[in-house]
Formats: sequence, C-alpha cells, structure tokens
Amino acid sequence: METKKDVYFVTRRQAIRLGAGALGFAAFSRVFPAYGADAVSNAAITAVGETVSGSKYKKNGSFRIGFSNGFSGNTWRTECLYSVKKEASQHKEVTDFIIVDGQGDISKQVNDIENLVSQNVDAILCIPNSGSAVAPALREATKQGIVTIPFNLPVDGEAWTAFTGTDPEKKGFGLGKWLRETLGDSAKIVALGGLPGNSYTASAWAGAQKAFQGSNIQVLAFRDAYWEEDRAKVVMADLIAAYPQIDGVWCDGSQVAAGATKALLAAKRPLVPVTGDDYNGLLKLYQEQSGNYPKFKIGLLSEPTWEGVIALRTALKLLNGEDVPKRQIIEPRLITSENYKDYLRPALPDGVFVDTDLSDDELKTLFKS
Amino acid sequence: MSSPGRLSQALRFLNKVGAVWIAVILLYLVSGLISPGMFQVSQALNILQIAAFLGIVAIGQTLALLVGGIDLSVAGVVTMSNIVVTSLMVGRSDTLIPALAISLLLAAAVGFINGSLITLARVTPLVATLGTNSILFGAALVYTGGAPHGSISPEFAVCGQGHLFGLPVSTICWIAIGLAMAWITRQTTFGRRLYAVGANPAAARLMGVPINRILIATYVLSSVMACLGGLLLTSYIGSPSLGIGDQFLLTSVAAVVVGGTALSGGSGSILGTIGGAIFITELNSFTNIVRVSTGSRFVLQGAVIALSVLMYHLVGSKRTSSQTNHQ
Repeated sequence: METKKDVYFVTRRQAIRLGAGALGFAAFSRVFPAYGADAVSNAAITAVGETVSGSKYKKNGSFRIGFSNGFSGNTWRTECLYSVKKEASQHKEVTDFIIVDGQGDISKQVNDIENLVSQNVDAILCIPNSGSAVAPALREATKQGIVTIPFNLPVDGEAWTAFTGTDPEKKGFGLGKWLRETLGDSAKIVALGGLPGNSYTASAWAGAQKAFQGSNIQVLAFRDAYWEEDRAKVVMADLIAAYPQIDGVWCDGSQVAAGATKALLAAKRPLVPVTGDDYNGLLKLYQEQSGNYPKFKIGLLSEPTWEGVIALRTALKLLNGEDVPKRQIIEPRLITSENYKDYLRPALPDGVFVDTDLSDDELKTLFKS
Repeated sequence: MSSPGRLSQALRFLNKVGAVWIAVILLYLVSGLISPGMFQVSQALNILQIAAFLGIVAIGQTLALLVGGIDLSVAGVVTMSNIVVTSLMVGRSDTLIPALAISLLLAAAVGFINGSLITLARVTPLVATLGTNSILFGAALVYTGGAPHGSISPEFAVCGQGHLFGLPVSTICWIAIGLAMAWITRQTTFGRRLYAVGANPAAARLMGVPINRILIATYVLSSVMACLGGLLLTSYIGSPSLGIGDQFLLTSVAAVVVGGTALSGGSGSILGTIGGAIFITELNSFTNIVRVSTGSRFVLQGAVIALSVLMYHLVGSKRTSSQTNHQ
C-alpha cells in the first residue's frame, strides 16, 4: 500500500479570513492538490494512507447526507452537532441532512446506520459508540456505493471510505512529553482517565507511557474519572490522602484536570502542572489561580469540535468526484500557560470546548447564556 | 447449650446495631493498614464529606425499598437538580432561595408522578421509575440543548465545600437528615405504616392503612432526598453536568442493601443505610488508593458487596432459626 504523508498549518486568523468555508477549502486544495486535507482552525492535519479516488462516488445534482451520532448529552457533542449542521446548511447541494442519535446504545446505532442506508442517503457520517460494532454496518453501506466517513473515534478495519479525527495515542504522547519536560525526569505523577475500559483513554495512556520511557517518572496511580469534574475531584481527594507528594497530573480531558485541581485546592495543597484538552472551565480556573500558585501550569491538546465539518466536507469532495486521503489525522496545537489567553472565553460557560469554529455569539445562543 | 446461645446473642446484637457498622470499621482498619493515608483525620473527614451525597440519596432509596418498591429515578433527579439549580442561580446570591425551592418542588412533582404511576396506574416500581429516569434525562437534554450553563453562588458552595466545627457541612446536613428520617420511620404512625405496607400490603390494607397515600408520600420523599443529595453534590463541584447523576442509579441501591435493608421490603433501617453509604464510599476510596488495576477494582467492589449481602442472609436465617428454637 502506498503511503503518503503531508502536513500543513493554518492559523485560526487565516481560517477566519479565508471564510472557514468553501473559499478556504478551495485555496488549500490548490496548494495541496493531491491530498487536500481540510482545516478550519489552527491545527495541522496529516494525510495518512492511500488516496481514495472520488471518481467512483461522483454524483450529479443534490445529495442526501446522514449522520449517525453515537450519543448526545455532553457539550463537545452539542458543539460538534451545531457546527456540522451549520456547515450542511451552507451547502446548497445538500438537500437533506438527516441526524440520528444512537443514545449511547451500540445496537441502536447499528440499526440507525441500516435505516440511513434504506433511506438512500449518498453519504453517512458517523461517530461510533463502538468501533467494532458499527464496522459491519459501515462495510455493508460502503459496498452499496455509499460514502462512509467515521470521525472523531476510529472504526475497526478499513471497510469505510475515509476517516477524520485526532490520534489519541499521539495526543497522549504529546501530553506526556509536555509533562516530562515541565516536571523533569524524576517526578511523581498520577493519571486520571475517562470511562472505565474506553479505548480513547487506553490509547492516550499508552502514548503517555511511551513519553515517560527512559525517565524516572513514577506513576503513583492510574484511575478512571469518567470525564466528569465531580468524579475526578473525589478520586483526586483520595489520591491526595494516599500520596504526600504529587508533582503533576496527567489527564486526557480537562474536566478531569479541573476536578483534580479543585481537589488540590480543597485540600489546601499547592497546585501542580496538569494536562488535558480545550475545556473552558480549566482555562478559567487557570486564569483565576495561576497567580497564587507559580508551579501551576497547563499543557493541553484540543479535541476540535469542528471535526464533523471536515468529515462533511470530505464526503462532499468525494461526491463531487475529488480525491481525498484515507485518513486525515488532526494534530492540534499545544495550549499552554503562554498562549492560553488566545483560547480562553471568559464570558462563556465552563462547558464550552474552545477549539471551535463557532463565534462567541453562536456559543452564547447555544449555551443560552 | 451455652455456645449456640451465645452465638445467637451475638448475632442478635449484630443485627440490632447493624452489621454494616462492624464492616465499616473493619474495612477502615484494613485499608488503613494497607495505606496509612486512610488513618489521617483529613481523609476520614473527606470520606464522610463525599459519603454525604450518596448517603442522602440512599436514605430516599431506603424508603422506596422499605415499602417493597425501588426508585431508579434518583439518578435523573440528581441530574435535574444539578442542571436546574446551576442554570437558575448563575453564580448570583439573590437567586439562591428561588433556585433551591424550584429544584425541590420539581423533585417532589417527580416523586408524585412516580407514586401515582405505581399506585393508580399499577405500573411496577422498577419500570415506572426507570421510565421517569429516562424522561428526566431527556428533559435535561431538551432544557439545556445539550449545553448546560450556569454555576452556583459562593454562599451555596459552603454546603458542599465548607466546614463547621471541624466537620464538613455536607456531613452535618446528612446526619441531620438521617436522624430526622430515622425518627420518622421508627417513631411516627407514617413510619410504622411504611414498614407495614412493605412487609405485607394485603394485611396492611385490612388494617386500614391508606396504602396509596403512603406509597405516593414515600416516592415524593425519595425524590426530595435525591434532590437534596444532588444539591449538595452540585455545591461540592460548582458546575453543571448532564452525567452527574448516573453514578447513583445502582450505588444508591447497593448502599441500602449493604446497610441491611431487604430488597423484598418491610425490613431495614435508615441508620443501616448511613453505614452502607459510608461503606461504599470507603470501599471506593480504598480501591482508589491501593495499587490495583481497573478490572480488579470492579471485581473487588462487586465481590465485597455480594459477600456482605450473603452475610446478611446467613445472619438473617440464623436469627430466624434461633428464634424458632426458642419457641
């Protein structure tokens, strides 16, 4: 299999100037005609794997697009849904954009995908509840000539058309590397993950451990914190009691980092460096507390809520007969104490994920604040 | 024969004080020996502070189990109170009282609906309350549009984060509510009727107990307790989350059962449940601290809960057989 790689960067300002839409997309395609990965924010996107030819998917006229969302009910998904719906409304050729919600149920999502197939959609976007469970349904859809684009979370095998998302292992490695550089090689840390047994945290943590290799960094504990602030605060309070010295906290999500930081505050312990993603609550907490605790640092890699926009644009490119990369891996920039103010949204609720293509006004409407 | 007599005496004593308290102390000693951090006063207080959230929710669950039912909507009520109170308070002090009042009223309404479904529509408690739970989650999604906003006022944060006379305020609230509910269930007509309905509804009906009214009141109380637990948890963390209540769906039942209340109704106590909630929190805390893998933690937690229920059965059956012998 031929493997080609390409990376390019575009800053948020550039993206906005270019309209973050069709105009920007056209401009980038010209620069990187063969593997025109797409971007709406200041992330780098790597094209991985062979190029998928759009010629066999090319259709004329209008398109029906389906989106099988695994579940809704956290703010990341809410923002993602809003962004992708907005994007769909901006493409006149998309006559129907059908969203189905798997309600966190693995078998319901499989059923949802089958229903979309029977509704004769031209493309299916999908955030899987389970990367293995949806694979056969997507394979069947792909066989029938439907463009299938899983995004955000990976789907087993390669029997889908193209994928967009971050690489959790790379992200975990990046966060681990930052923590190692910040704390030095002989620190004692604890690690807090998401839901027990989820593959995202498992991959991210595997990446982090690679970053710690060859150092004397001691991992005192790895615990599940359900990506919830309250759960993380409770777990961290226990770990504080057990370990008199905790120099840093590795987390794959910033709600967890915020919960852990609040536990340190409650125990009147000095704040320490934490890792996470682009949750506004942690940025606000950092803004509020960093003056009091000089050792408090943040090293964050975002999980862009505009991934769905890239997925939809990829589907449309294929339906227009253009080639796309098999995998577009989003490589978000590091948010640290130095540049966090570019991302912080002080007037918006904690729940906002700040690496978004939505404006403050749109977010205010969305969060009813 | 003196030794079986002494054994049955010991068992009866255990049953009276609640075997769970012995388990609470044993677990504390074992975990402290393994991880000395558990013996710190601050950690003991931390466990009591965190146990308060589950503890109050479980008090409501105890009432539902005592009448022979179950309340699986407690998870939804916790989430609802978290979402409602943060969105109405939005960090301001002047909205504190109305926000709390509205949360409690909504919870009472949920309990009333549960009770009515169970008594008037004759839906089994498990199905009715699980249905309500699902509706509440859906309502929270619709209300927030999936994007919850708001925060608590600084005054309200004292309930979940503050200390009074060296004790966490949440623990003090829990003890006060626990004692009040223990008194209500043991000393009032309502309490005695509650046990009667759970033990034998047909007999209770013949004795003139207004079963429907008792059941509805029980589910209202259960929801209100879940709301109070949710409010304290909200005060502890300060922000809204749509998944905040999920953890209580089954742990509330586990705490009650570990505390010695029978799933079949009519037998159990609030004080036992308080011990049960401390036990579950202690167990979580212990498994957080010891160096075991995620899988082993779940196995350990499940095994300890199953074992304690098994012990109750053994103690219960021994007691019954020794009572039969005496007769």
